[in-house]
Amino acid sequence: MNDANGYAAVVLRSMWRRASGRFPLMVIGLWVLVSVVSLFWTPRPLMQTDGYHTWQAPSAEHWLGTDGTGADVFSWLMAGSRTNLIIVILTVLVAAALGLLFVAAMVSRHTVLAGASVVVVDALISIPTVLIALVLAVPLGASVAVIVIACGFGYGLNLARVARPQALLVARSAYVESAMADGASGAYVLFRHIVPNILPVMLVQLSLSAGTAVLAESGLTYLGVGVPSGTPSWGHSLATTVRFISVYPLTVLWPGLVVTVVVVALNLFGDALRDAIDPVTNPALRQGTGVSGKEDGHGR
Amino acid sequence: MGVDIRGLRIAIGGQEIVHGVDLTVGDGERVGLIGSSGSGKSMIARAMLGLLPPDVAVSGSISLGGTEVVGASDRTLAGLRGRYTGMVFQNPGASLNPVLSVGKQIELPLRLHYDLARAERVDRVRAMLDKVGLPPDVEGKHPHELSGGQLQRVGIATALITSPRLIVADEPTTALDSITQRQIVDLLVSLVDGAGASMLFITHDFSVLARATTRCVVLDEGSVVETGETAALLAGPQDERTERLVRAARALTLHTAWPDATRDASAAASAQVSARECDEAEVRA
Amino acid sequence: MRFVLRRLLLFVVALLAISVAVFAMLRILPGDVAAVMAGVNSPPERVAQLRAELGLDRPLPVQYLDWCGALVRGDFGTSMLTGRSITTQVGARAAVTFPLIILGLVIAMLIGIPLGCAAALARGRRSRAIYRLVSIIGGAIPALWGGMLLILLFGRGVGLLGVLPSQGFPTSGWGTPGAALASLALPALSVGVIVGASLMRYTRSALGEFVASGYIEMAMSCGMTRTQAVLHVGLRLAMPQMVSVVGLTFAEMITGVMVIENLFALPGLGTGLVTDVGNRDLIAVQGELFMLAAFFLLIGLVVDLAHRALDPRLKASADGNEVSA
Repeated sequence: MNDANGYAAVVLRSMWRRASGRFPLMVIGLWVLVSVVSLFWTPRPLMQTDGYHTWQAPSAEHWLGTDGTGADVFSWLMAGSRTNLIIVILTVLVAAALGLLFVAAMVSRHTVLAGASVVVVDALISIPTVLIALVLAVPLGASVAVIVIACGFGYGLNLARVARPQALLVARSAYVESAMADGASGAYVLFRHIVPNILPVMLVQLSLSAGTAVLAESGLTYLGVGVPSGTPSWGHSLATTVRFISVYPLTVLWPGLVVTVVVVALNLFGDALRDAIDPVTNPALRQGTGVSGKEDGHGR
Repeated sequence: MGVDIRGLRIAIGGQEIVHGVDLTVGDGERVGLIGSSGSGKSMIARAMLGLLPPDVAVSGSISLGGTEVVGASDRTLAGLRGRYTGMVFQNPGASLNPVLSVGKQIELPLRLHYDLARAERVDRVRAMLDKVGLPPDVEGKHPHELSGGQLQRVGIATALITSPRLIVADEPTTALDSITQRQIVDLLVSLVDGAGASMLFITHDFSVLARATTRCVVLDEGSVVETGETAALLAGPQDERTERLVRAARALTLHTAWPDATRDASAAASAQVSARECDEAEVRA
Repeated sequence: MRFVLRRLLLFVVALLAISVAVFAMLRILPGDVAAVMAGVNSPPERVAQLRAELGLDRPLPVQYLDWCGALVRGDFGTSMLTGRSITTQVGARAAVTFPLIILGLVIAMLIGIPLGCAAALARGRRSRAIYRLVSIIGGAIPALWGGMLLILLFGRGVGLLGVLPSQGFPTSGWGTPGAALASLALPALSVGVIVGASLMRYTRSALGEFVASGYIEMAMSCGMTRTQAVLHVGLRLAMPQMVSVVGLTFAEMITGVMVIENLFALPGLGTGLVTDVGNRDLIAVQGELFMLAAFFLLIGLVVDLAHRALDPRLKASADGNEVSA
């Protein structure tokens, strides 16, 4: 565990050292901070509407102005960040779990299972997540669960496809063969050998998926199958104001800007992570200590 | 076409790889450039034809038949390449365009530099195929349908189709088996001599060097350590580094001849085997 | 030829699988379909009546086969809400959506491929960083927001330039091709910009593999300049890979397409699907989902065949195992 912490510290430190890594780390840190703060404090109460002061320009009272109901845009964006954070975390967890499951099936020793799962993943991957979300919305209605399940499923498939070659390499390696011969279970091999080796690929892919999830939230919420009306989220802020862009462009600017900046940050985070965990581009990892989890993988 | 290189320096990302190399190739002369891998010999070849990526810094002077290459525009250099110079690459499988048929590949320099009727181009390509010893039906085939030796013949045909005055061959035989190596070297030498062109032949293989060149330049870690007649140099290297290279190159030659034996404990011992013995062994293998 | 046949067979099998999946998803999901469709507070008799009307009281396999048989005849059923044939409804909507997707993709290619080439050819760290940022920002803009910005710029009445219609589709449809095309222009541009950004990224990385390759050096040694070699040889070699990517991009596109259709009030499959889901019109949802999924499978088929045709190494190899794998 200590070694894993040491590894994470080395990676984070090398990301922080470059501007292209520092920016996403700062944005993500701010995002988490704002989400936590919004639980206890927002400049204005969320549900305070004011029919006399709709579509206000930014002022000392309303930092980013008010929307069509007279609610404070800044407060809603603050509160929205926690909803989006929860959606992203849950989506990534679902995607990681499903992705691992698919990977395990695709590299399994049962040739029929492995072959079938490759075909199934290939077929399912061409079904857009939004269609899955729409189907789920029939019984579930607009809810966070629709976004999390639909995106988690779709991104899990992508993850499995991306991670498969590396996983296959490990699963067919001599040391895994010998471990299996010694009676190691499939689950042991998966978590002891395969996961440590595909972890870098998974982390990069998942951080890209996190960005896509933020975008998907705004799209699905606009389509009426995402975050239910009345729950603060960036997509909700965008969806409720976007129609009025020509009249009140300033009000619509903020949610769109927040989403764009956060998605850019998550993409840059993925790129920076890729550089930071690659021993070729990151000399800090080459000095050899502390990466115990990975030694298994470099045996051959 | 003669080559005159003076004080050539090549640096990648601020790190100098080639440190002030002087090298000349006379008109109609065949010169070898030999060194271990990483010595910068391929860099020099690419710098001569302006093939290095734009972020590689080249300084000094390279004169090809009086035209200065260093600092020249890509357009100017493209006008020289394939017309006055031809290049043969180490690995034809990774350089011949996989979507072009052999015929289209060989006629590419003709199409880029000369305004010939289609029929005439086809005639020249067929004549060239015959010269490099390929059957006529190869013309319509794609690279993936040919063997390594055939591919290198296509590479040579492409390099020579416009009768260039200078051929740069960058380890043209390294990727081939030993019997094919000899055939390819002999073919290249006869074609170059037949056309009266000059050749710079890059290799780390001394047995090939003796066949392909009359004079050679030894490169070590980006600097020239020795220059001389190939035969004399092989018989009695003056510089200690050259001697080390000659030994290492012999060992390497053996390794390529017997790839399975590389991990064998006898590898060190076989490095002592003379060049002649190793040639015979190759033929038997 | 064997490959083409095999690929067609795979297409048919996948089509069947999709039909099962769509059918099963709408049946297995919690909630009685008839009850859902009848509405929350309807009396049990009404639900039972609806169940019989829809044939939902019959065994599932029979229902499925029935639906399939109808699909083959081109009959998508009757909408519970409008009482109209879904086939005509879906047909009219597809006539908006499919041209929008294809137009959007063409625009995406016109934007993404040249920019991707420029990015791959860029010298110097600074210009490379700028290209990278452009592609990342382009891909990070929410479709909703980007579309609105375009309306703000070009939309008739509201826009700064005020030239193009920003709402709706002519009732005469493609009977007035000029008006139809004009009303698709802004939506297609919105889709194109979003997809173009990711296409640019893919183009750059696909080309990047070849920029430093022996193929480029070979072409240069024959007399091409670096730019010529990258555009003629590199782009051609990267094409099979890019075609595959375009196929995948298509699936990603659909969320954006649906949002854009709604935003521009286009009566397409996306808008229809969202409305029907909102109305719990399951028969219509079923038909539209199948139609969209089938369209994506068809795109996948075209992409694979094109990929095959573009790469002589694959075309010539005796069996196509490596392609479908």
